[in-house]
Amino acid sequence: MISRYERASNYVIIIALTVAVMFPVVWFLLTAVSPNTSGRLDFSHLAFGNFVTAWRDGNLASSMRASVVVAVSAVAVQTILAVLSGYGFGVLGVVGERVLFPVIILGMMVSTEVIVIPLYYELQSLHLTNSWIGLIIIQLGMGVPFGMYWMRATFRAMPQSVIDSAAMDGARDWAILWRILLPMARPAVLTLVLLEFMWTWNDFFLSLIFLQDPAKQTATVALSAFQGRHVLQVNLMAAGSLIVSLPVVTLYVIFQREFISGVMSGAIKE
Amino acid sequence: MRAAAAGGVGRLPRPGRSKRARRRRWLGLAYVAVPLAFYLAIVIQPLIATVNYSFYQWDGVSPATWVGGRNYTTFWSTPDMAAAFGHVVVLIVMFGFIPLALGLLCATLLSRATVKGQSVYRWFLFLPQVLTTVVVAIIWKRIYSPDGPLNTILGLIGLGALRRNWLGDFTWALPSLGMIGVWGGFGFTMLLFLAGIIAIPTELFEAARLDGANRWHEFRYIILPSLRGQMAIALTLTITGALRTFDLVYVTTQGGPGNATTTPALLLYQLAFVNPSVGQASAIGIVMAVLCMIIAVVITRVVEGRDK
Repeated sequence: MISRYERASNYVIIIALTVAVMFPVVWFLLTAVSPNTSGRLDFSHLAFGNFVTAWRDGNLASSMRASVVVAVSAVAVQTILAVLSGYGFGVLGVVGERVLFPVIILGMMVSTEVIVIPLYYELQSLHLTNSWIGLIIIQLGMGVPFGMYWMRATFRAMPQSVIDSAAMDGARDWAILWRILLPMARPAVLTLVLLEFMWTWNDFFLSLIFLQDPAKQTATVALSAFQGRHVLQVNLMAAGSLIVSLPVVTLYVIFQREFISGVMSGAIKE
Repeated sequence: MRAAAAGGVGRLPRPGRSKRARRRRWLGLAYVAVPLAFYLAIVIQPLIATVNYSFYQWDGVSPATWVGGRNYTTFWSTPDMAAAFGHVVVLIVMFGFIPLALGLLCATLLSRATVKGQSVYRWFLFLPQVLTTVVVAIIWKRIYSPDGPLNTILGLIGLGALRRNWLGDFTWALPSLGMIGVWGGFGFTMLLFLAGIIAIPTELFEAARLDGANRWHEFRYIILPSLRGQMAIALTLTITGALRTFDLVYVTTQGGPGNATTTPALLLYQLAFVNPSVGQASAIGIVMAVLCMIIAVVITRVVEGRDK
């Protein structure tokens, strides 16, 4: 059906695109292992020591720990909140949902910039700025709309008969959620967890504002500060960037399908 | 679509009249109570507070004074503000329309592709979406630097006259930032459109072929109309993303040189936290939010309007 000419041109197009997209990334990878601080590629020997130096000079040990703490706890609680609200809105129904549901959906359109100013002054008066707890609480609140929407759609896509027959057998609402719906929803929960992790790990704006103390900073903010200080050591900057990207990229290697389909259907469902 | 999702409320089952159904819905409220409390405290309450702040003049420390709508009336006459929103227009074209067009073109060309190792290409093309913007910014700062790869390559292919400090150039800094958006957004639009094209029934193409349609006809009369929904999504996300640009500018240029690459979000950050004029910053936030909403509604309208 497809001519040989077309098949060949398909390869040419897709390879050209891939090269165009990957060129900056690959160049950067090579810079990271280059001994030359100016960023000029140098293959005389591979300087894996760059990663060690960047880890030490970039304050990455403490900031990577901060990112792990914030991302893991935010994702864990966000996911629980998503399951609870998705079950409420998707299966049980909620008193006042005609008002509450649109109000929560509105949250998907509210961008961080619009709420961040009062949040800062409010958390400051509660002594929750420069605190991981403060940042985690913000991530939790902001994660509710998408999480609710995602889990609600997931639960509603499940056959009603399963819920009905479990209820007939005398299963209570909690048992239905925990023992029947949640196991069936495992793939959707996995995708949700991956997306949430990516979003909290990659966050820069919130961490920049709420964690100004260098001892509390997350990895993205520490990296940005590091590159401001080390303009003349490009190879270290590149090495540091790779370290900071590694957790999400590793997950992306393992769960490529979940990431791509999650981002795309997340976009569509929004 | 976001707006369409909100419109979907009507499809919820009608509230049951029975006592049991009512009990169930109170139970439902108990399930959503905690998430709802977080949401109201973290999103809704501050949203209302920002509206309130925007009517005051406040330096973040001393008592605030009520100034009515002044933060809005003086809005566009502030040169910085006008410049920042002007830059957004350029970014919208480069983050939104160019990836849209490129993605559409490549998805169409590749729609019948049976290339081996598709998932490998997909992995590479989607990678920019997964990288944190800080790293993307650092990568491109290097590419654009005076002794960076872009200038090296221009020199090698005999275009040495074009070499410059891309991000330090008053004319070129903003388009250079825009190109980063093209690079990052294009894989997303292309994969979104490819998924859309695959969903089109093949009979449609076969029937068109029997009627003597060429590839342009296929594109114009089958592919383009089928992808309307995907195009709306891509545009809404990329355009609101362009309007909200912060991380990229903060890490690469800090708005410079001069104010050649400032964005509303950068001004908001500076006015809220660096050099506090909190009322003005809040007004920027509100204007951005309203613009985002208008953009989403207009795009949805345009798409649905053509449906009829």
